[in-house]
Amino acid sequence: MYLPDFDYHSPESIDEALSLLANLGSGAKVLAGGTDLLHKMKQGDLAPKALVSLKGLDKLKGINYVEGRGVVIGALSTQNDILYSEVLAKKYPSVSHAAKKMASNQIRHLGTVGGNIVNAVPSADLPPILIALGASITLVSTSGKREMALEEFFVEPASSVINEGEILTEIVIPDGDLTGSSYHKFGLRRSGALAVVGVAASARVAGGVIEEARIVCASSAPKVIRTPKAEAFLAGKSPAPEVLEELQAIVESEVRPRDSIRGSAEYRRNLAGVLAKRALVDAVESGHGLPAED
Amino acid sequence: MSINTKIIGRSVPRIDGRDKVTGAAKYTGDIKFPNMLFGKILTSPHAHARIISIDTSAAEALPGVKAVITHKDVPDIKYGISPARWDENIFCIDKVRFVGDKVAAVACTDEETCYKALKLIKVEYEILPAVLDFRKAMDEGMPQIHDEYPKNINVEIHQEFGDIEKAFKEAHLVRTDAFLGNRAYQSPIEPHSATSLWDGDKLTVYSSTQSPHYFQYYIAREFGMDMGNVRVVKPYVGGGFGGKMEPTGLEFAGAVLAKLTGRPVRMFFDRHEMFAHNRGRHAQYMEITTGVTKDGKILGAHSNFMMDGGAYTSLGIATAYYAGALLPLTYEFDHYKFDLFRLYTNLPACGAQRGHGAPQPKYAFESHLDNVATELGMDPMDIRLLNARRPETVTPNDFAIHSCELTQCLTRARIISNWDEKKKEGGMPKGHGIGVSTGSFVSGAGYPIYRTDLPHSAVVIKVNEDGTSATLYTGAPDIGQGSDTVLCQMAAEAMGFHYEKMKIIAADTETCPMDLGAYASRLTLMTGAACKAAGEEIKKSLLEMASSMLHLPPDDLECEDAIIYSKSREGKALTFQEVARKHFVLKGPLIGKGSYTPPKLGGKFKGSPVGTSPAYSFGVQVGEVKIDEETGEIEAVGFWDVHDCGTVVNPRLLHGQVHGALSMGMGESVWEEVLFDDKGKIKNPDLANYRILTALDMPPVESEIVDSYEDIAPWGVKEIGEGSTNPTMGCFSNAIYDAMGVRVYSLPLSYEKVWRALKEKREREQGKKE
Ligand SMILES: Cc1cc2nc3c(=O)[nH]c(=O)nc-3n(C[C@H](O)[C@H](O)[C@H](O)COP(=O)(O)OP(=O)(O)OC[C@H]3O[C@@H](n4cnc5c(N)ncnc54)[C@H](O)[C@@H]3O)c2cc1C
Repeated sequence: MYLPDFDYHSPESIDEALSLLANLGSGAKVLAGGTDLLHKMKQGDLAPKALVSLKGLDKLKGINYVEGRGVVIGALSTQNDILYSEVLAKKYPSVSHAAKKMASNQIRHLGTVGGNIVNAVPSADLPPILIALGASITLVSTSGKREMALEEFFVEPASSVINEGEILTEIVIPDGDLTGSSYHKFGLRRSGALAVVGVAASARVAGGVIEEARIVCASSAPKVIRTPKAEAFLAGKSPAPEVLEELQAIVESEVRPRDSIRGSAEYRRNLAGVLAKRALVDAVESGHGLPAED
Repeated sequence: MSINTKIIGRSVPRIDGRDKVTGAAKYTGDIKFPNMLFGKILTSPHAHARIISIDTSAAEALPGVKAVITHKDVPDIKYGISPARWDENIFCIDKVRFVGDKVAAVACTDEETCYKALKLIKVEYEILPAVLDFRKAMDEGMPQIHDEYPKNINVEIHQEFGDIEKAFKEAHLVRTDAFLGNRAYQSPIEPHSATSLWDGDKLTVYSSTQSPHYFQYYIAREFGMDMGNVRVVKPYVGGGFGGKMEPTGLEFAGAVLAKLTGRPVRMFFDRHEMFAHNRGRHAQYMEITTGVTKDGKILGAHSNFMMDGGAYTSLGIATAYYAGALLPLTYEFDHYKFDLFRLYTNLPACGAQRGHGAPQPKYAFESHLDNVATELGMDPMDIRLLNARRPETVTPNDFAIHSCELTQCLTRARIISNWDEKKKEGGMPKGHGIGVSTGSFVSGAGYPIYRTDLPHSAVVIKVNEDGTSATLYTGAPDIGQGSDTVLCQMAAEAMGFHYEKMKIIAADTETCPMDLGAYASRLTLMTGAACKAAGEEIKKSLLEMASSMLHLPPDDLECEDAIIYSKSREGKALTFQEVARKHFVLKGPLIGKGSYTPPKLGGKFKGSPVGTSPAYSFGVQVGEVKIDEETGEIEAVGFWDVHDCGTVVNPRLLHGQVHGALSMGMGESVWEEVLFDDKGKIKNPDLANYRILTALDMPPVESEIVDSYEDIAPWGVKEIGEGSTNPTMGCFSNAIYDAMGVRVYSLPLSYEKVWRALKEKREREQGKKE
């Protein structure tokens, strides 16, 4: 219930943050909105010696369109920043919709996209839609900077390829020729519910035919996963009822959910298949969606 | 019947509204005293274990720790809210009986040190096999939880009224259905807390309680003190719903710690500890058999129930009796049999939760009745109308019903929900279904929880010396339901005064006359009756005073809107204020007193007092749901609640109660369930995975009142707070059945269960085809 004792650092630049992390070593943790981290510390699951807060680092904030790169989302953008971003409303309302389905207004005001990614739980709501849109991320440390596809970031629950001393600085949704995307979350109430299953889909459609599609599932395996067989199956098809039925079956065969307090493995397997159909239909028929309104 | 009132019937603003919305309201946990210590209770990590030893030395050595206590430091008198089974100790002596059972307590200079100190208390346990499934608790070879109660039977009930066998023999159809309920927890927003301090021999406890009186009684009893030396004060309370009826241990431990240290001690639960202390809804296994005629007339019913009591009795004896006793309220039949076992398990103790024992049996009965109607090819609304209780009738178990407008409620619900249109083929969009269910509840329990001849409610009204205001002193606790407001309305009405000029001092055992508390939906009728008597006494004194001032006979005078006027001579008038002031000058304080004791109620059989009440509310809910066939997701599309609750004192507060009860009932229907692992540990002691509903989940609700008047009650009032929880679960069950043709036989009717039922139905149908 109480936070353990720790040192608190509030660096004023990214370089300062990085050298603090390098010096403090394994005892230090990065703090963004704290909605995951402080909770774990209060529960006694984590007791870092020091927290390095990113809150003062304005460079990590902001959601902008940069010619030649795409939509650049600073890692410190909150869930509400994403929900209300004009840039996203124009380019990818589907991402704002995913943010809208998260937590509650209070949490959305604090929780950041960087934290949602680095926390690396399979139920996180933002990674599926970002992966469906082919997003990449940038990680920096005192020894340099690396970029990678977001889908390569996750390893297993609460584990990713991030190294000690690294900060996630931005997420980039590259310009591309995807014509639509969508995220469907299934929660057990309308607010403050984690995903029992969440599925994002994206597609490149020409003349009513799916040329390429991505199906990305949250809470369906130890980490957020794509479903390669389903994606391959969809190429060259249009979303006719029998195609969707088969899609559901393929997705159900590809996901690896477990029994949890929110649903049995069997139920979640079914949900993944159902949501995949719905997300795909939206991605094919409704582009990237309408701007998220309140 | 319409009555001529000035203040009753008006949606006056809540007397506590401003304090609450501005944050000025002080709850128990906000109260601070100089030098105050903080206390916490150490609880058992095991469901069932023998205590071998307790070593507190390391905790005592921690800086900031001022006292550590165990069973050795407290009286070993057993207590409990039900006198029939006192089975709890302040701290466990030989055994712990559930994960969360109380073992020791600490008092420290700050909260954080408390948590550290608890970790330093070393308790050695010998783990015993545990009883986690109440349906197996009576089985041969099961561990014995309390030595005094063989086969883990906490209470067993066997009642028969009329001749059930004969009724079933004569019936056209006899059908049995079985249902399983869920463990639900009240989840009040304000956690329990208690702050204790001593002044010589006098103990004062500020507590988040629904009943200062029972707290005072049991605290005095436990410590062998005079009740006059125990003062219990209720500050603002953020919800109770039945979970704050009995001392929690925070009061006992706090009192002892405060005595030992000579300092005030604040004790509190966190959310997890609230779930562990529990006293929420019992899970019940309910088998119901009904015999009906060809036309659907119910001839008789048999309820055969089992209840998961948890490790202690709490209010469970009453819950057990209520479970069966309230079932015959809404439908008329002469033959009724009720069997029940309440069983001890090594789980948190269950108690009274909004609607007390009634809502789960109501879910079972209302679902069962729809099954019967389906077999007979009857409309669910019609079978209910056919059997609906009428006014001035008596139930088979001897409850006298006076006012009862159930038929009117059904008829109105049918109209405003557009029932008949919706029930037609294609009357609703695909996936939609509509269900109906009835409910009824006591307007106050006919008998107190412990045997006493004390009145159930008493109040004093004192008019301020200059006549500009009046203060109502009442033991009645407002726990959020709004009793402070409606009691002031009633007092002002009786006096002929202004509501806006009323003040209230409530729920303090020292400054207020006693009141049994906020439970069994009793305050509006019972404390209301006391307010009426007190207000009328004031009015009488005023009219006598005015009579000598105006030289007119008192019975020519009336007081309304704070003006005393002559009925016969126009223009002859005085203000309340000037007459009241004169009264003080010439005759001393202007005071009115009132008290209320219910008439003798009920039959003569064992358990006959439980369920008696001067008056019963009746209500009907119709719910429309939309089911997602592929996922089982349930959306509440619309709800219609029509209630007979007698005269309405404050319409806005009344509809607020309906909405609140509905949201709790909805939660229990579909979303809420306390889950345990195979060691008896709660898996979801938090509001993330124990899903009480959010505002976003609420459907549009139409809440309507029918014209009704209860002769036996002040101004004809009856209850609303609990009765509207009763129909909800059955309503969902029936609406889901209507939408999908599948019945879920266990609560909660979760999305996954609905999905599974649909899947099984599809598989059955495919199986038939092949
Ligand atoms: C009541 C409640 C409801 C919630 N509901 C949802 C929900 O519906 N959907 C959902 O997906 N999540 C939900 N969450 C989880 C949480 O709010 C989100 O995951 C949030 O986005 C985390 O962001 P944060 O800034 O608070 O992370 P923090 O708690 O600050 O950090 C989380 C982890 O990421 C690391 N970290 C954070 N930022 C960086 C960075 N830039 N570089 C390197 N490491 C970093 C931290 O060191 C820590 O390990 C909920 C949480 C709560 C408390």
